[in-house]
Amino acid sequence: MTESDIEMVVAIVRPEKLGAVKQALAETGASSLTVTTVSGRGSETMKKGQWRGEQYSIDLIEKVKIECVVQEVPTDDVTEAVAEAAYTGNAGDGRIFVLPVEDAVRIRTGDRGPDAV
Amino acid sequence: MVLQLDPTPIADGVNNVWILVVCFLIFFMQPGFALLESGQIRAKNVGNVLMKNMTDWTVGVLVFFLLGSAVSAIAGMLTTPGMALDVGAAFAYINDPTAYIGWFFGAVFAMTAATIVSGAVAGRMKFTAYVFVATAMTALIYPVMPGFAWGGSGLLSGAGYLGQALGVGYLDFAGATIVHMCGGMAGLVGAKMVGPRKGRFNQRGNSQPIPGHSMLLAVLGTLFLAFGWYGFNVGTQATVLAAGDGGLTFNGGALGQVVLNTTLGMGAGAVAAMIVSSVWQDKPDPLWTANGLLAGLVAVTGAVPHVTWWGGLILGGIAGALVLPTYRWVVDSLKIDDVCGVFAVHGSAGAIGTILIPFFGVTADGGYTFLGVNQLAMQVVGVAVVGTWTVLATIAAFKAADVLFGLRVAEEQEEIGLDKSEHGVSVYPEFTGGNREGPTVSVDGGTTGGPSDD
Repeated sequence: MTESDIEMVVAIVRPEKLGAVKQALAETGASSLTVTTVSGRGSETMKKGQWRGEQYSIDLIEKVKIECVVQEVPTDDVTEAVAEAAYTGNAGDGRIFVLPVEDAVRIRTGDRGPDAV
Repeated sequence: MVLQLDPTPIADGVNNVWILVVCFLIFFMQPGFALLESGQIRAKNVGNVLMKNMTDWTVGVLVFFLLGSAVSAIAGMLTTPGMALDVGAAFAYINDPTAYIGWFFGAVFAMTAATIVSGAVAGRMKFTAYVFVATAMTALIYPVMPGFAWGGSGLLSGAGYLGQALGVGYLDFAGATIVHMCGGMAGLVGAKMVGPRKGRFNQRGNSQPIPGHSMLLAVLGTLFLAFGWYGFNVGTQATVLAAGDGGLTFNGGALGQVVLNTTLGMGAGAVAAMIVSSVWQDKPDPLWTANGLLAGLVAVTGAVPHVTWWGGLILGGIAGALVLPTYRWVVDSLKIDDVCGVFAVHGSAGAIGTILIPFFGVTADGGYTFLGVNQLAMQVVGVAVVGTWTVLATIAAFKAADVLFGLRVAEEQEEIGLDKSEHGVSVYPEFTGGNREGPTVSVDGGTTGGPSDD
């Protein structure tokens, strides 16, 4: 089914690393991306919040989800660039997932498949 | 040519315009309270606290016009030796246009006292019960206080029974106790009687934090309040120009004393709270700093014309430093869920600032003087009278509300939030999720009615 040769890189990273990831993607040549603010739970230990000096646990931690659909640029280059830019070495750096994309449509022109990316 | 003018209308005109302007400033404390309280509570209850704040003002002005202001006059008549009870005179302002500016000046103070209560009982009190309490607050509980202390007559004034016994009148210039402590104590009593929010204390009775939803709103509200406070304090120095035989005299020194002490009290309160929160929690906390700023203002509100500049600074600093420990005492020892800390900010700060006035007395030329043991005794007695009346009257009002309407919403209503259960709205619709009502997009792209259409 996935003959289109299009893949989507989904990266969930620390919000403060968004700028570095954007920069890295632009340098790789895959500058188009979609960004969403998300909350989630991974291996990172729970954060502590405080209100009037009393602590409480935050079990969903704020992250940024970056979706980047790649066709011409090798996917490995993209994942590598994201991983490098988002790295701190501490738990909670995030995940990168690579998904096949069946097809694509460029709304303005009606182009389909690789041309649309 | 020498222009001959009667100075009296000029002084009256300037003074009354000044009073109107400060009344508008004091009215602007209402959005301050609305934001301050909204920020300190959860998103699901914001519409409810906004409704309470609007009700305090709107129901309050009607009640205070039709009844409250007269109750104030009657309270003064009944507690002053030589004054006869004259109900007609007490209500005379209602049909006297020349009394309306004075009534409005009293009204903005009354509504300030009333609106403090909503911050203490936020998140679980039934709206109808709250409206009843707000009515009692503006009809009776608050009006008795200025009747006792202000306007030259009443129990605590120099002419009243207690004032004559001690030979001095009670000093509370703009209402640190008469307005703020009254509101703060009423809030504390109300919060105790309504009971804590669900989940505020665990099974062992230990405090569990319920974070507010917006520090931004809380701090903005604080600064709005501080802005309005200049009307509250400086405006109480209502005589800008005095007309006499020699023409007009400008009371610049009196105004200056009041504006300086208001500013220093505010600054010292915020700085002290910032330092205490830094020591207590390792980092300077914006909410404590905001609370300390207001506590500093409350502490000097009764004192501004009576104390030296350094007295204003010290009073504000003491109140600011005590905000955090006082709040912790209310929560950890008394086990009362005073959501916005109104007792720490308005109640105890007003009492302390007012009792300590005699230790920081100022002379006409700005020098220092102790105001005397009798004055100190009067301050203690005055705070005790204001506190006792407020507590007893508030207990009665909440008891009556409990009998008539019930004080609390049902547990499941508290769970989904008072915005939805009491008012059928969502202040932040995108946060509510779950059982969302109203139009939703159907598969064919059109909208479909909510559950009510089924």
